[in-house]
Amino acid sequence: MIRALAVAGLAIAAPIGAAAHQLVVFASVDCEAVTVEAKFSNGRVTQQGDVRVLDGENNLLTTLQLESDGTARVALDSVDHTSGLLIEVDTGSHDNYWIVTPEDIARKCGS
Amino acid sequence: MRGVVQRTLALGLAMFLATTAVAQDRSQVIVVNKALHYFAERLLGDAAEVVFPVPEGADPSFWRPSIADISMIQSADLILLNGAGFATWIDRVSLPRSRIVNTSATIEDQFIVTESITHSHGDGGEHSHEGIASYTWLDPMLAIAQAEAIAAAVMSRDLAAEQDVEARLAELRSELTALDAMARDALSSLKGTAILATHPRYQYFARRYSLSISSLEWDAGAMPSQDDLADLERLATELDARILIWEAKPPQAAFKLTEALGLHSVVFEPGAGQGTPVSLFDAYRQAVSGLSEAARQSSD
Repeated sequence: MIRALAVAGLAIAAPIGAAAHQLVVFASVDCEAVTVEAKFSNGRVTQQGDVRVLDGENNLLTTLQLESDGTARVALDSVDHTSGLLIEVDTGSHDNYWIVTPEDIARKCGS
Repeated sequence: MRGVVQRTLALGLAMFLATTAVAQDRSQVIVVNKALHYFAERLLGDAAEVVFPVPEGADPSFWRPSIADISMIQSADLILLNGAGFATWIDRVSLPRSRIVNTSATIEDQFIVTESITHSHGDGGEHSHEGIASYTWLDPMLAIAQAEAIAAAVMSRDLAAEQDVEARLAELRSELTALDAMARDALSSLKGTAILATHPRYQYFARRYSLSISSLEWDAGAMPSQDDLADLERLATELDARILIWEAKPPQAAFKLTEALGLHSVVFEPGAGQGTPVSLFDAYRQAVSGLSEAARQSSD
Protein backbone atom coordinates (compact mmCIF):
# COMPACT_ATOMS: atom_id res chain seq x y z
CA MET A 1 0.00 0.00 0.00
CA ILE A 2 1.20 3.40 -0.79
CA ARG A 3 1.92 6.09 1.69
CA ALA A 4 3.96 8.42 -0.37
CA LEU A 5 2.37 11.58 -1.52
CA ALA A 6 3.00 12.80 -5.00
CA VAL A 7 2.13 16.43 -4.99
CA ALA A 8 1.69 17.12 -8.63
CA GLY A 9 4.23 19.17 -10.40
CA LEU A 10 3.07 20.42 -13.74
CA ALA A 11 6.37 21.44 -15.24
CA ILE A 12 5.94 21.49 -18.98
CA ALA A 13 9.04 20.55 -20.86
CA ALA A 14 10.36 18.60 -23.76
CA PRO A 15 10.07 14.84 -23.44
CA ILE A 16 12.83 13.12 -21.59
CA GLY A 17 13.59 9.49 -20.96
CA ALA A 18 12.71 7.56 -17.87
CA ALA A 19 14.53 8.58 -14.74
CA ALA A 20 17.54 7.09 -12.98
CA HIS A 21 17.84 4.04 -10.78
CA GLN A 22 15.92 1.70 -13.00
CA LEU A 23 17.37 -1.59 -14.08
CA VAL A 24 17.29 -2.11 -17.82
CA VAL A 25 17.29 -5.70 -19.03
CA PHE A 26 17.72 -6.75 -22.63
CA ALA A 27 18.07 -10.20 -24.13
CA SER A 28 19.09 -11.05 -27.66
CA VAL A 29 18.83 -14.46 -29.24
CA ASP A 30 20.84 -16.34 -31.77
CA CYS A 31 20.35 -19.95 -32.61
CA GLU A 32 22.66 -21.12 -29.86
CA ALA A 33 22.06 -18.89 -26.87
CA VAL A 34 20.21 -16.05 -25.26
CA THR A 35 22.55 -13.24 -24.28
CA VAL A 36 21.25 -11.22 -21.37
CA GLU A 37 22.46 -7.68 -20.73
CA ALA A 38 21.63 -5.65 -17.65
CA LYS A 39 22.55 -2.10 -16.80
CA PHE A 40 21.14 0.77 -14.85
CA SER A 41 19.31 3.48 -16.70
CA ASN A 42 22.03 5.97 -15.77
CA GLY A 43 24.45 3.84 -17.85
CA ARG A 44 26.21 2.18 -14.94
CA VAL A 45 27.02 -1.48 -15.57
CA THR A 46 25.24 -3.99 -13.35
CA GLN A 47 28.16 -5.96 -11.96
CA GLN A 48 26.25 -8.60 -10.04
CA GLY A 49 22.80 -10.08 -9.89
CA ASP A 50 20.77 -13.23 -10.29
CA VAL A 51 19.47 -14.18 -13.70
CA ARG A 52 16.43 -16.41 -13.44
CA VAL A 53 15.24 -18.21 -16.55
CA LEU A 54 11.62 -19.34 -16.56
CA ASP A 55 9.46 -21.06 -19.15
CA GLY A 56 6.04 -20.11 -20.49
CA GLU A 57 4.34 -21.60 -17.44
CA ASN A 58 6.57 -19.64 -15.06
CA ASN A 59 8.56 -22.73 -14.08
CA LEU A 60 12.10 -21.90 -13.07
CA LEU A 61 14.50 -23.54 -15.51
CA THR A 62 17.83 -22.28 -14.28
CA THR A 63 19.50 -19.49 -12.33
CA LEU A 64 22.74 -17.84 -13.39
CA GLN A 65 24.90 -15.03 -12.12
CA LEU A 66 25.61 -11.88 -14.10
CA GLU A 67 29.20 -11.51 -15.23
CA SER A 68 31.12 -8.42 -14.16
CA ASP A 69 30.28 -6.77 -17.50
CA GLY A 70 26.55 -7.11 -16.76
CA THR A 71 25.92 -9.97 -19.17
CA ALA A 72 24.91 -13.61 -18.90
CA ARG A 73 24.64 -16.33 -21.50
CA VAL A 74 21.93 -18.97 -21.51
CA ALA A 75 22.73 -21.82 -23.88
CA LEU A 76 19.54 -22.83 -25.66
CA ASP A 77 20.39 -26.52 -25.45
CA SER A 78 20.55 -26.20 -21.66
CA VAL A 79 16.88 -25.24 -21.25
CA ASP A 80 13.53 -26.26 -22.65
CA HIS A 81 12.66 -23.15 -24.67
CA THR A 82 9.67 -24.52 -26.56
CA SER A 83 7.22 -22.27 -24.69
CA GLY A 84 9.58 -19.28 -24.75
CA LEU A 85 11.78 -17.89 -22.02
CA LEU A 86 11.18 -15.29 -19.37
CA ILE A 87 14.46 -13.75 -18.25
CA GLU A 88 14.38 -12.06 -14.86
CA VAL A 89 17.35 -10.14 -13.49
CA ASP A 90 17.44 -9.29 -9.80
CA THR A 91 20.27 -7.24 -8.29
CA GLY A 92 18.79 -7.35 -4.80
CA SER A 93 17.64 -3.77 -4.93
CA HIS A 94 16.30 -3.65 -8.48
CA ASP A 95 14.74 -6.13 -10.83
CA ASN A 96 13.39 -6.26 -14.33
CA TYR A 97 12.65 -8.76 -17.06
CA TRP A 98 12.74 -9.54 -20.76
CA ILE A 99 10.45 -11.89 -22.63
CA VAL A 100 11.74 -14.15 -25.40
CA THR A 101 8.94 -15.81 -27.33
CA PRO A 102 9.22 -19.09 -29.26
CA GLU A 103 8.83 -16.97 -32.40
CA ASP A 104 11.84 -14.81 -31.43
CA ILE A 105 13.93 -17.95 -31.24
CA ALA A 106 12.50 -19.47 -34.40
CA ARG A 107 13.21 -16.28 -36.37
CA LYS A 108 16.85 -16.40 -35.36
CA CYS A 109 17.10 -20.04 -36.26
CA GLY A 110 15.67 -19.48 -39.70
CA SER A 111 12.64 -21.69 -39.17
CA MET B 1 -40.08 -32.60 -40.35
CA ARG B 2 -36.72 -34.36 -40.36
CA GLY B 3 -35.85 -32.55 -43.56
CA VAL B 4 -36.59 -29.18 -41.96
CA VAL B 5 -34.35 -30.01 -39.00
CA GLN B 6 -31.55 -31.11 -41.30
CA ARG B 7 -31.85 -27.94 -43.41
CA THR B 8 -31.87 -25.79 -40.25
CA LEU B 9 -28.79 -27.52 -38.91
CA ALA B 10 -27.04 -27.20 -42.25
CA LEU B 11 -27.87 -23.53 -42.43
CA GLY B 12 -26.67 -22.97 -38.87
CA LEU B 13 -23.43 -24.79 -39.62
CA ALA B 14 -22.90 -22.75 -42.77
CA MET B 15 -23.48 -19.51 -40.88
CA PHE B 16 -21.11 -20.60 -38.11
CA LEU B 17 -18.40 -21.48 -40.60
CA ALA B 18 -18.90 -18.20 -42.47
CA THR B 19 -18.65 -16.21 -39.23
CA THR B 20 -15.54 -18.10 -38.20
CA ALA B 21 -13.97 -17.49 -41.57
CA VAL B 22 -14.69 -13.75 -41.37
CA ALA B 23 -13.27 -13.61 -37.83
CA GLN B 24 -10.12 -15.36 -38.97
CA ASP B 25 -9.77 -13.10 -41.98
CA ARG B 26 -10.06 -9.93 -39.99
CA SER B 27 -6.88 -8.06 -39.26
CA GLN B 28 -5.87 -7.77 -35.65
CA VAL B 29 -4.97 -4.51 -33.97
CA ILE B 30 -3.42 -4.43 -30.51
CA VAL B 31 -3.84 -1.45 -28.21
CA VAL B 32 -2.22 -0.67 -24.87
CA ASN B 33 -5.12 1.03 -23.12
CA LYS B 34 -8.87 1.30 -23.14
CA ALA B 35 -8.93 4.79 -24.59
CA LEU B 36 -6.99 3.67 -27.65
CA HIS B 37 -9.28 0.64 -27.85
CA TYR B 38 -12.26 2.97 -28.03
CA PHE B 39 -10.71 5.21 -30.69
CA ALA B 40 -9.49 2.27 -32.79
CA GLU B 41 -12.87 0.53 -32.68
CA ARG B 42 -14.63 3.74 -33.64
CA LEU B 43 -12.30 4.24 -36.59
CA LEU B 44 -12.16 0.64 -37.79
CA GLY B 45 -15.75 -0.43 -37.31
CA ASP B 46 -15.94 -4.12 -38.16
CA ALA B 47 -12.95 -4.01 -40.47
CA ALA B 48 -10.53 -5.32 -37.87
CA GLU B 49 -10.51 -6.92 -34.47
CA VAL B 50 -9.19 -4.52 -31.84
CA VAL B 51 -7.61 -6.34 -28.90
CA PHE B 52 -6.73 -4.83 -25.55
CA PRO B 53 -4.87 -7.72 -23.91
CA VAL B 54 -4.62 -6.40 -20.37
CA PRO B 55 -6.93 -8.30 -17.99
CA GLU B 56 -9.46 -6.60 -15.76
CA GLY B 57 -7.97 -5.40 -12.50
CA ALA B 58 -4.47 -4.95 -13.90
CA ASP B 59 -3.01 -1.48 -14.34
CA PRO B 60 -2.17 -1.34 -18.06
CA SER B 61 0.70 1.05 -17.38
CA PHE B 62 2.52 -1.63 -15.40
CA TRP B 63 0.98 -4.85 -16.69
CA ARG B 64 3.39 -7.75 -17.03
CA PRO B 65 2.39 -9.88 -20.03
CA SER B 66 2.98 -13.60 -20.35
CA ILE B 67 5.08 -15.11 -23.10
CA ALA B 68 1.85 -16.25 -24.80
CA ASP B 69 0.53 -12.67 -24.67
CA ILE B 70 3.65 -11.42 -26.42
CA SER B 71 3.48 -14.17 -29.04
CA MET B 72 -0.06 -13.02 -29.83
CA ILE B 73 0.95 -9.35 -29.89
CA GLN B 74 3.93 -10.03 -32.16
CA SER B 75 1.62 -11.59 -34.72
CA ALA B 76 -0.80 -8.64 -34.87
CA ASP B 77 -1.15 -6.50 -38.00
CA LEU B 78 -0.84 -3.26 -36.07
CA ILE B 79 0.28 -2.39 -32.55
CA LEU B 80 -0.92 0.97 -31.29
CA LEU B 81 1.16 2.45 -28.49
CA ASN B 82 0.12 5.38 -26.39
CA GLY B 83 3.64 6.76 -26.00
CA ALA B 84 4.49 9.16 -23.15
CA GLY B 85 5.90 6.24 -21.18
CA PHE B 86 2.59 4.38 -20.98
CA ALA B 87 2.89 0.57 -20.80
CA THR B 88 6.31 -0.37 -19.47
CA TRP B 89 6.12 -3.86 -20.96
CA ILE B 90 6.74 -2.57 -24.47
CA ASP B 91 10.39 -1.98 -23.54
CA ARG B 92 10.82 -5.56 -22.33
CA VAL B 93 9.95 -7.46 -25.45
CA SER B 94 10.79 -7.56 -29.14
CA LEU B 95 8.06 -5.99 -31.21
CA PRO B 96 7.93 -5.82 -35.02
CA ARG B 97 9.02 -2.25 -35.70
CA SER B 98 7.15 -1.92 -38.98
CA ARG B 99 3.84 -2.67 -37.28
CA ILE B 100 4.22 -0.34 -34.30
CA VAL B 101 2.64 3.10 -34.25
CA ASN B 102 3.18 5.56 -31.43
CA THR B 103 -0.06 7.53 -31.35
CA SER B 104 1.43 10.45 -29.44
CA ALA B 105 4.49 10.94 -31.64
CA THR B 106 3.17 14.24 -33.01
CA ILE B 107 2.39 15.70 -29.60
CA GLU B 108 5.63 14.96 -27.77
CA ASP B 109 6.32 18.67 -27.45
CA GLN B 110 3.20 18.87 -25.28
CA PHE B 111 4.17 16.14 -22.82
CA ILE B 112 4.17 16.95 -19.13
CA VAL B 113 7.19 16.01 -17.04
CA THR B 114 6.29 14.78 -13.58
CA GLU B 115 7.99 14.21 -10.28
CA SER B 116 9.47 10.86 -9.35
CA ILE B 117 8.30 8.33 -6.79
CA THR B 118 9.04 4.63 -6.81
CA HIS B 119 6.71 2.27 -5.03
CA SER B 120 4.77 -0.94 -5.41
CA HIS B 121 1.19 -2.04 -5.16
CA GLY B 122 -1.08 -4.69 -6.61
CA ASP B 123 0.45 -7.33 -8.84
CA GLY B 124 2.47 -4.94 -10.98
CA GLY B 125 5.60 -5.00 -8.81
CA GLU B 126 7.71 -2.00 -8.03
CA HIS B 127 7.21 0.90 -10.33
CA SER B 128 7.40 4.64 -10.42
CA HIS B 129 5.36 7.49 -11.75
CA GLU B 130 8.41 9.38 -12.80
CA GLY B 131 9.26 10.84 -16.12
CA ILE B 132 6.32 11.81 -18.27
CA ALA B 133 2.62 11.99 -17.47
CA SER B 134 1.07 9.39 -19.72
CA TYR B 135 -2.72 9.87 -19.65
CA THR B 136 -2.54 12.13 -22.68
CA TRP B 137 -6.04 11.40 -23.97
CA LEU B 138 -7.65 13.19 -21.02
CA ASP B 139 -6.95 16.38 -22.95
CA PRO B 140 -9.48 16.08 -25.81
CA MET B 141 -7.20 18.02 -28.16
CA LEU B 142 -4.41 15.51 -27.58
CA ALA B 143 -6.95 12.71 -27.96
CA ILE B 144 -7.81 14.09 -31.39
CA ALA B 145 -4.13 13.95 -32.36
CA GLN B 146 -3.97 10.34 -31.19
CA ALA B 147 -7.13 9.44 -33.09
CA GLU B 148 -5.62 11.05 -36.19
CA ALA B 149 -2.49 8.96 -35.76
CA ILE B 150 -4.59 5.80 -35.52
CA ALA B 151 -6.58 6.77 -38.61
CA ALA B 152 -3.39 7.41 -40.58
CA ALA B 153 -1.92 4.08 -39.48
CA VAL B 154 -5.07 2.19 -40.38
CA MET B 155 -5.36 3.80 -43.80
CA SER B 156 -1.70 3.41 -44.71
CA ARG B 157 -1.97 -0.31 -44.01
CA ASP B 158 -5.30 -0.73 -45.82
CA LEU B 159 -6.94 -2.15 -42.72
CA ALA B 160 -10.19 -0.35 -43.56
CA ALA B 161 -11.66 1.62 -46.45
CA GLU B 162 -10.14 5.11 -46.48
CA GLN B 163 -13.42 6.95 -46.96
CA ASP B 164 -14.99 5.10 -44.03
CA VAL B 165 -12.07 5.92 -41.76
CA GLU B 166 -12.08 9.56 -42.84
CA ALA B 167 -15.79 9.84 -42.09
CA ARG B 168 -15.43 8.17 -38.70
CA LEU B 169 -12.47 10.36 -37.84
CA ALA B 170 -14.45 13.49 -38.65
CA GLU B 171 -17.21 12.26 -36.35
CA LEU B 172 -14.78 11.44 -33.56
CA ARG B 173 -13.04 14.78 -33.95
CA SER B 174 -16.38 16.54 -33.73
CA GLU B 175 -17.38 14.65 -30.57
CA LEU B 176 -14.07 15.37 -28.89
CA THR B 177 -14.31 19.04 -29.79
CA ALA B 178 -17.81 19.17 -28.28
CA LEU B 179 -16.55 17.36 -25.18
CA ASP B 180 -13.79 19.93 -24.84
CA ALA B 181 -16.22 22.83 -25.16
CA MET B 182 -18.50 21.28 -22.57
CA ALA B 183 -15.62 20.75 -20.14
CA ARG B 184 -14.22 24.24 -20.70
CA ASP B 185 -17.59 25.76 -19.89
CA ALA B 186 -18.40 23.52 -16.93
CA LEU B 187 -14.98 23.79 -15.31
CA SER B 188 -14.43 27.51 -15.69
CA SER B 189 -15.56 28.07 -12.11
CA LEU B 190 -12.88 25.68 -10.78
CA LYS B 191 -9.87 27.73 -11.86
CA GLY B 192 -7.72 28.30 -8.81
CA THR B 193 -9.66 25.77 -6.73
CA ALA B 194 -7.48 23.16 -5.04
CA ILE B 195 -8.53 19.65 -6.07
CA LEU B 196 -7.10 16.36 -4.84
CA ALA B 197 -6.96 13.07 -6.74
CA THR B 198 -6.41 9.54 -5.42
CA HIS B 199 -3.77 8.84 -8.08
CA PRO B 200 -1.68 10.99 -10.43
CA ARG B 201 -3.68 10.52 -13.63
CA TYR B 202 -5.08 13.93 -14.47
CA GLN B 203 -2.13 16.11 -15.47
CA TYR B 204 -3.27 16.74 -19.05
CA PHE B 205 -6.87 17.25 -17.97
CA ALA B 206 -5.69 19.76 -15.35
CA ARG B 207 -3.52 21.68 -17.78
CA ARG B 208 -6.21 21.84 -20.44
CA TYR B 209 -8.74 23.41 -18.08
CA SER B 210 -6.33 25.35 -15.83
CA LEU B 211 -7.13 23.21 -12.80
CA SER B 212 -4.93 22.72 -9.78
CA ILE B 213 -4.94 18.98 -9.06
CA SER B 214 -2.61 17.44 -6.47
CA SER B 215 -2.37 13.69 -6.21
CA LEU B 216 -2.10 10.93 -3.67
CA GLU B 217 -1.00 7.40 -4.47
CA TRP B 218 -3.95 5.24 -3.51
CA ASP B 219 -4.90 1.92 -5.01
CA ALA B 220 -7.76 2.28 -7.47
CA GLY B 221 -11.12 1.34 -5.99
CA ALA B 222 -9.66 0.27 -2.65
CA MET B 223 -10.71 1.29 0.82
CA PRO B 224 -8.18 3.87 2.05
CA SER B 225 -6.17 2.93 5.12
CA GLN B 226 -5.83 5.10 8.21
CA ASP B 227 -2.44 6.24 6.91
CA ASP B 228 -3.99 7.14 3.57
CA LEU B 229 -6.66 9.17 5.31
CA ALA B 230 -4.09 10.92 7.46
CA ASP B 231 -2.15 11.86 4.30
CA LEU B 232 -5.35 13.06 2.71
CA GLU B 233 -6.32 15.18 5.69
CA ARG B 234 -2.87 16.74 5.86
CA LEU B 235 -2.86 17.59 2.15
CA ALA B 236 -6.45 18.85 2.16
CA THR B 237 -5.67 21.13 5.07
CA GLU B 238 -2.44 22.35 3.53
CA LEU B 239 -4.08 23.19 0.21
CA ASP B 240 -7.54 24.05 1.54
CA ALA B 241 -8.95 21.48 -0.88
CA ARG B 242 -12.65 20.58 -0.86
CA ILE B 243 -12.87 18.19 -3.80
CA LEU B 244 -11.47 14.67 -4.13
CA ILE B 245 -11.31 12.85 -7.47
CA TRP B 246 -11.43 9.06 -7.23
CA GLU B 247 -9.81 7.09 -10.03
CA ALA B 248 -12.30 4.27 -9.46
CA LYS B 249 -15.36 3.94 -7.29
CA PRO B 250 -14.34 2.76 -3.80
CA PRO B 251 -16.54 1.04 -1.22
CA GLN B 252 -19.37 3.34 -0.12
CA ALA B 253 -17.84 3.64 3.35
CA ALA B 254 -14.82 5.36 1.83
CA PHE B 255 -16.99 8.22 0.60
CA LYS B 256 -18.32 8.70 4.10
CA LEU B 257 -14.82 8.86 5.57
CA THR B 258 -13.63 11.49 3.11
CA GLU B 259 -16.86 13.46 3.37
CA ALA B 260 -16.18 13.65 7.10
CA LEU B 261 -12.98 15.49 6.15
CA GLY B 262 -15.06 18.04 4.28
CA LEU B 263 -14.32 16.68 0.81
CA HIS B 264 -16.81 16.31 -2.04
CA SER B 265 -16.18 13.09 -3.95
CA VAL B 266 -16.14 12.81 -7.72
CA VAL B 267 -15.40 9.52 -9.50
CA PHE B 268 -13.42 10.05 -12.70
CA GLU B 269 -12.42 6.79 -14.36
CA PRO B 270 -9.69 7.84 -16.78
CA GLY B 271 -10.29 5.06 -19.28
CA ALA B 272 -6.96 3.28 -19.16
CA GLY B 273 -7.92 -0.18 -17.91
CA GLN B 274 -10.65 -2.73 -18.40
CA GLY B 275 -13.84 -2.63 -16.43
CA THR B 276 -14.94 0.95 -16.91
CA PRO B 277 -18.70 0.66 -16.44
CA VAL B 278 -19.56 3.47 -18.83
CA SER B 279 -18.06 4.52 -22.13
CA LEU B 280 -15.00 6.74 -22.27
CA PHE B 281 -16.91 9.87 -23.24
CA ASP B 282 -19.75 9.21 -20.79
CA ALA B 283 -17.25 8.80 -17.96
CA TYR B 284 -15.62 12.07 -18.98
CA ARG B 285 -18.94 13.93 -19.10
CA GLN B 286 -20.04 12.51 -15.76
CA ALA B 287 -16.75 13.50 -14.14
CA VAL B 288 -16.88 17.02 -15.54
CA SER B 289 -20.47 17.44 -14.34
CA GLY B 290 -19.52 16.00 -10.97
CA LEU B 291 -16.63 18.44 -10.60
CA SER B 292 -18.83 21.36 -11.56
CA GLU B 293 -21.45 20.30 -9.03
CA ALA B 294 -18.82 19.73 -6.34
CA ALA B 295 -17.50 23.24 -6.95
CA ARG B 296 -21.00 24.64 -6.56
CA GLN B 297 -21.56 22.72 -3.34
CA SER B 298 -18.22 23.73 -1.86
CA SER B 299 -18.91 27.37 -2.49
CA ASP B 300 -22.34 27.21 -0.79
